[in-house]
Amino acid sequence: MIDLIGYGAFFLTTALIFSLVTLGLNLQWGLTGLFNVGLAGFVAIGAYTSALLTTPDDAARLGGFGLPILVGWLGAMVVGGIAAALTGMATLRLRSDYLAITTFGVAVVVQLVALNAQKLTGGPFGIGFIPRPFGSLAEKPLLFNLSNLAVVAAVTLVAYLALEHLSRSPWGRVLKALREDERAAISLGKSARFYRVQAFAVGGAIMALAGALQAHFTGFIAPDNYLPILTFQVWVMLIVGGSGSNLGAVIGSILVWGIWAGSGTLTSVLFAPEQQARAASLQIVAIGVMLCIILLIRPNGLFGDRLLRPRLGKRAKVTTAKSSSGS
Amino acid sequence: MSETVLDVRDLEAGYEPGVPIVRGASITVRKSEIVVVLGPNGAGKSSFIKAIAGLVPITGGTVLLDGKDITAAPAHTMVRLGLAFVPQTENIFQLMSVEDNLKVACGILERREIPARIDEMYAAFPDLMRQRRTAAGNLSGGQRQMLAVARALIVHPKVLVLDEPSAGLSPKFVSMVFEMLAGIRKSGVTILLVEQNAKAALAIGDRAYVLVEGKDRHEGIASELWNDPVVAELYLGQRPSHASKGGVA
Amino acid sequence: MSLQFVIDGLLTGSMIGLGAIGVTLTYSILRFSNFAHGDFMAWGTYATLAVVSAIGATFGKVAPIAPLSFGWPLLVALVVGMAFTALLALLLDRVLFSRLRSQGQAIIVVMASFGASMALRSLLEFTFTSRPTYFSRAIQIAMPVGFGIRITPDQIALLLLTAVLVLGVHLLMTRTQTGRAMQALSQNAALARIVGIDVASVVRVTWIIGGALACVAGVMIGILVQIRPFMGFDMLLPMFAAAILGGIGSIPGAVLGGLIIGLAEAGAVQLIGAEWRAAVSFIILMAVLFVRPIGLFGVRER
Repeated sequence: MIDLIGYGAFFLTTALIFSLVTLGLNLQWGLTGLFNVGLAGFVAIGAYTSALLTTPDDAARLGGFGLPILVGWLGAMVVGGIAAALTGMATLRLRSDYLAITTFGVAVVVQLVALNAQKLTGGPFGIGFIPRPFGSLAEKPLLFNLSNLAVVAAVTLVAYLALEHLSRSPWGRVLKALREDERAAISLGKSARFYRVQAFAVGGAIMALAGALQAHFTGFIAPDNYLPILTFQVWVMLIVGGSGSNLGAVIGSILVWGIWAGSGTLTSVLFAPEQQARAASLQIVAIGVMLCIILLIRPNGLFGDRLLRPRLGKRAKVTTAKSSSGS
Repeated sequence: MSETVLDVRDLEAGYEPGVPIVRGASITVRKSEIVVVLGPNGAGKSSFIKAIAGLVPITGGTVLLDGKDITAAPAHTMVRLGLAFVPQTENIFQLMSVEDNLKVACGILERREIPARIDEMYAAFPDLMRQRRTAAGNLSGGQRQMLAVARALIVHPKVLVLDEPSAGLSPKFVSMVFEMLAGIRKSGVTILLVEQNAKAALAIGDRAYVLVEGKDRHEGIASELWNDPVVAELYLGQRPSHASKGGVA
Repeated sequence: MSLQFVIDGLLTGSMIGLGAIGVTLTYSILRFSNFAHGDFMAWGTYATLAVVSAIGATFGKVAPIAPLSFGWPLLVALVVGMAFTALLALLLDRVLFSRLRSQGQAIIVVMASFGASMALRSLLEFTFTSRPTYFSRAIQIAMPVGFGIRITPDQIALLLLTAVLVLGVHLLMTRTQTGRAMQALSQNAALARIVGIDVASVVRVTWIIGGALACVAGVMIGILVQIRPFMGFDMLLPMFAAAILGGIGSIPGAVLGGLIIGLAEAGAVQLIGAEWRAAVSFIILMAVLFVRPIGLFGVRER
């Protein structure tokens, strides 16, 4: 029973960290319509930044600086936000596909740096000894897991409430209007672009924060944690939950992570150890097909507010004009 | 009375279901005629003619071409059916050469027929001949209109349909375009056009219809229509100017 | 530095360029960036490999065409593989992309291609495992051709093949009715329909060309490097960068972009080390986006 609660807490902590990433993506895609296919890169930036700032000094690489965990999280958000802002500034005056391609490139380059810049990132072996909140409780796994869950849940809740507030604010309404009409958003010029860069940067900072939380939760990070599969999982979470809805983002994350973890357990039971790598790829196939099917038959997800367009084109244009002149 | 080429009956059309822009308009175009469709801004003229060409969803009525029902035909089959359409704007492929613009429209012609047909167009429009290697985007406004018309004529259409051929042209080019259309009709081609520039269009047209709020309100001989008091009240009273050219007409 | 990087760069550039043709065509005609294009490469390569093995099982060992490392079975298999990849692309369009396109949101199609990419690649991993495999394990002797450059017969043959294919596609695009229809559709889709172009058939041709060339690029990687399920995915960024550098919609641009990136990668490998290779395309991509987002041969969007 205790084991079960402990596992439940562990599961929920991971799921909530995913929720946080999904919330960041929801701000970028669901609210603003910015397509980020390299979010694993931003999560990695956060994880590595925080690890660098908070780990004890290590002769083999730069730092660590032994700073408090909170400083690490803050640093993660700042660096992640800046990286996202730069990406946005490079591409947001162009067609949305260019942003997709560029974010994809960011993830590739971050992965490359994580693997090869040993002096900074520890290379393929990653960074260990990352301080964990309530590390003193590590002897009592249940209490340790529950307290971690409490911290992650608190952070997720704060992010959720802040994003809910933001999406109802005038700022959020402008973003929604810009989302509906890319052409208008491009032609409205600098002010519209600035709004979108802001949204992209805040989203990137949230993703980076999630990466930092995860790093401090597991105490160890390596480049393998931030492969394209992570990007893909989070996208499925958002689409299942429904883009545009913060609640949907959280529920979708828990749901999909449940399916993922469950099917992972199932394959480990059903398949012989030497077949498990293959079985894991079958798991990805299933999720990939699921994503495509959802896009085809229920593009709004379970809780999405993203209206499907064709007919709304003209009306959306009117809203865009109004809200941008009013802001 | 010569035979009917295009017969449009009670046409209803619009982009959104339940919001028709064309609301039961009927016109008839006979062989070798120039028929002009006039109307105030927002009367649905442009949607009317685009619906005939298969570009706006039709919700009611019929379009017969040479007695054949073409109401539900997709836009890309219209050329084969004998209806060639010249849109108001973006009616040439700007990055392609003049010659490629003509060639790309020859999809329905026999392969060996194409070079001769292109030469015929060059003979009719010597300006195009001189610019054959030029990218179409570099042509003057009048030459672009010429290319768009040549591109439509090249497939021997039964009817040539034009959406405001004078739109956006300077007065010099406007008269040139209308002279060109008058010349084309002389060679036996049937023409249907929508125009804001009523005076110039009526000067070359045989008959005209006035479209108001998506319906045909008035029909008449072009030369008489100009002096008709009802028409003047409906439409010509507010003389159209080029500056106030409407968007969704 | 040794001039060998020129040959290496041209070869890598050929692979990137052949792939980028498909990317640039999909982008300019179907208006979305296809993240599954790399996986077309990998699927085509595995299909070719499967046919080679099947021929080997039926006819026994076939002597290679001297001085190349491969014999007629590979050539036959390549043709079959190209047809297979084209069919795969058509199938994916039928069940997925065309349906989403009709909903009118381009970026949803991009996302679907991302999902399809994951599924396709993992399916390869499931079937063939992630272990690398090869068309031939024979080692070819590279011939010195002066200036410190060495080249193998396979490499010469593949460079020639690339040149022929690129020329062929270029002629198709500029000299045939099909090619003009493709240009027309990419420039002005509404007008293309008005002049009688059947959009559906042009879309089919686009997938066929893109898929077939992706297969050739993949097989080149298979012959010169190795065959892995990730081989195509790893080419994605260089292909996108090449298509954007060359100017979206331009076939010569895509090929030139591919060669530039290939040469830059090969140079970087010599100067800073192979592990940073993948960063080269990203740097070039960012430079293009900041300096000249329409690319070398591109034209401003209307």
